[in-house]
Amino acid sequence: MVLDRSSRLDLVFHALAHPARRAIIRQLSGGERNLSELASPLKMTFPAATKHVRVLERARLVRRRIAGREHLCRLHAGPLKEATLWTEQFRKNWEARFEALDALLEEMKTEERTRARCR
Amino acid sequence: MNPQGLQVTTPTDTTIVLTRTFNAPRRLVWEAMTTPDKMRRWMLPPPGWTIAVCECDARVAGTLRLVWHGAEAGQSMALHGVFTEAITHERMTHTEVMLLRTGEPIGSQVETHEFSDKGGVTTMRITQVYVSKEVRDCAVASGACPGMEEGFKQLDELLAQSV
Repeated sequence: MVLDRSSRLDLVFHALAHPARRAIIRQLSGGERNLSELASPLKMTFPAATKHVRVLERARLVRRRIAGREHLCRLHAGPLKEATLWTEQFRKNWEARFEALDALLEEMKTEERTRARCR
Repeated sequence: MNPQGLQVTTPTDTTIVLTRTFNAPRRLVWEAMTTPDKMRRWMLPPPGWTIAVCECDARVAGTLRLVWHGAEAGQSMALHGVFTEAITHERMTHTEVMLLRTGEPIGSQVETHEFSDKGGVTTMRITQVYVSKEVRDCAVASGACPGMEEGFKQLDELLAQSV
């Protein structure tokens, strides 16, 4: 499946929008878990938990491998980093923006003084 | 007096307060912050992105709308807000929701701007109120996703207990 970067981003944000899926990610941040281990603390049925894991797999946040009868899931952090990059850059930009605002305000003050002199 | 750099504090569990001074009267700061053609001059988008739409009607029930486009086709992010309070040159409050290209919201907050000036220097105080401590912490950590930062902390505690 080939997706452009923004669609991948949409899948990641969609995957993170549900508290159960965030809980799964939290669990997996502690290491590999099988599906029943993931389902039990969520107090949900096995099929319901499996559905959430599939959403995470589609967003490529989780990888699953089959070992005998067990389905083992692990976290794949790459897409998570990509998704957070935008908001991170947006927020870290604040001081740079305020410096641009300083420059604009200087211009506005000069304009006002010029207008006052012309009057 | 030189403008004071950005100060960031977290006075309560769900708020972030940004304080910054500007070397201009608050009337001009207000104008620069609420007039779309002036907002475009300083509201720098993340690298590689451009501001496609910038609308701001700083009156009660007026709307705030920003759309950014990325360098790649189809990349788009938006911010929508509604003003709930607007006292010209003094104080304004608006809601704020960040939206994906699909329209799916990824974060919301309420933001209040307060302006006071003395001797031609304006102090602006922005108070951001988030829906939960979890989301607020995410905004502070800037890089953690909703729930991630708090989640990892809980996990750390859990692991410490189980040892």
